[in-house]
Amino acid sequence: MNNLKKVVLAEDNSTLSLLLKFRLEKEGYELLIAENGKEAIELIETHEPQLILTDIMMPFISGLEVISHVRNKLKVQTPIIVFSAAGQEEMVLKAFNLGANDFMGKPFSPNELVIRVKRLLA
Amino acid sequence: MIDFQHLLAYFEQLPLLVKAVWILIGLLIIFIILLIFYLKYLRGYLRKKEAISKMLFTEYEANLINFLYSQTEEEINEEQQIIVDKIKTSITNKFKRKIFISVMSKLKNDISGEMADSINNLYIKTNLINHSIAKLKSNKWYVITAGIKELNLFEITNVFEQVKKHENHPKQEVRNEVQLYFVSLFHFKGLDFLNTLKSSISEWNQIQLLEILQKFDDQEISDITPWLKSGNESVVLFSLKLAKIYNQFQIIDTLLELLNHQSKIIRLKTIEVLNYFQVNEAKKILKNNFKNSSEDEQIAFFQMLENTVEIADEEFIVLNTKHVNFQVRVLALKILKRLNNEKLLDLKNNAANDEDKLIFNYLENN
Repeated sequence: MNNLKKVVLAEDNSTLSLLLKFRLEKEGYELLIAENGKEAIELIETHEPQLILTDIMMPFISGLEVISHVRNKLKVQTPIIVFSAAGQEEMVLKAFNLGANDFMGKPFSPNELVIRVKRLLA
Repeated sequence: MIDFQHLLAYFEQLPLLVKAVWILIGLLIIFIILLIFYLKYLRGYLRKKEAISKMLFTEYEANLINFLYSQTEEEINEEQQIIVDKIKTSITNKFKRKIFISVMSKLKNDISGEMADSINNLYIKTNLINHSIAKLKSNKWYVITAGIKELNLFEITNVFEQVKKHENHPKQEVRNEVQLYFVSLFHFKGLDFLNTLKSSISEWNQIQLLEILQKFDDQEISDITPWLKSGNESVVLFSLKLAKIYNQFQIIDTLLELLNHQSKIIRLKTIEVLNYFQVNEAKKILKNNFKNSSEDEQIAFFQMLENTVEIADEEFIVLNTKHVNFQVRVLALKILKRLNNEKLLDLKNNAANDEDKLIFNYLENN
């Protein structure tokens, strides 16, 4: 029986995804990686994760649409952390309005992300 | 064989022009066949190259992550040294080097902290730094740009002098990159390039530079007065932006001098900054210059008066309620409404043209 807490990471930067996968798996989480919003929604619906990490700008379906889908269609309160690049302040506000719990501006420290993940999953 | 001879005989008796057309058709058919083969080869080659790129990308990605997670307290440990040696051998090839740099850049753009420092360390240990420095000596502008970009991304500060050599490069793209390098790595001190800059700073680069500067914790800006007095128009315009963003109240005297600058755009932007600081002393100069100012400056001055108007300005405002420019007229009447409503009603009763009546109606309802 796998008791690891599941985290879905939606990020189109494969190198960053790999880095975070290693880091968070080391902390005892099970990472499910999606390269775009569409894959992220599929993973969320199939695996019902305890936490969602999503970039805002992604191919096919954006991070905002992922948040909207989770909050309005699936109607679940899974904590969501949003990644945003510089100049996406308005997007971050929209993400919070849609129900995101936290955000991290890129570039961010993976160690800081781990702290935030732990806080949300405590 | 007989058919072929028959065809040949037929061809020979054709008129010269028709013969030429047939030869041309033949040559075109051969050319098209060769082109099809070439495109087939090219497609295969590109697909193969893409597959190799993907494979190398994945391999380097794994190497990079392993390097980062092998980090201990030492500068570089045994495990990391093995990875470094492996990468060093692999990237002697230009194509592979390019892929490795793209892997590193991709991650470096998105992370900060200790891991970002480790990536910078790897860039040095794998000798990529020397390749970037070598690019600075290239005759091709895009190679120089790429070199500076890499040195900036991996935070190499000790090549300042080599980068500085390109600060007045004829190509704008190179100059942009040099300016970003200076400001990203040397913060406000990096703005010293403004002292010697001969060419213009693009509007887009000015925005980028300001954005970079705002990220730093230390917001202590050096004296911008020399830049405001620069003979380079774009340096003055950029400094005006700095003055506004960093609330440089101490340079107000220099700003007042700029109201008489020969460039219209500088005078206009100066009025906007003086409006932001609400500098009353500027009004006297602007009133004296008003007649000879451009319409944009006159509008900017009235926008300033909206924030700084005093009783003493009434005469000047009333005088301009009949200004030829519609916007100036509206602003003048709007300010007058606040300053002396009776006077405004007086003017309204004497209003002759329909346009003015519309303005009065608008002001009454707003």
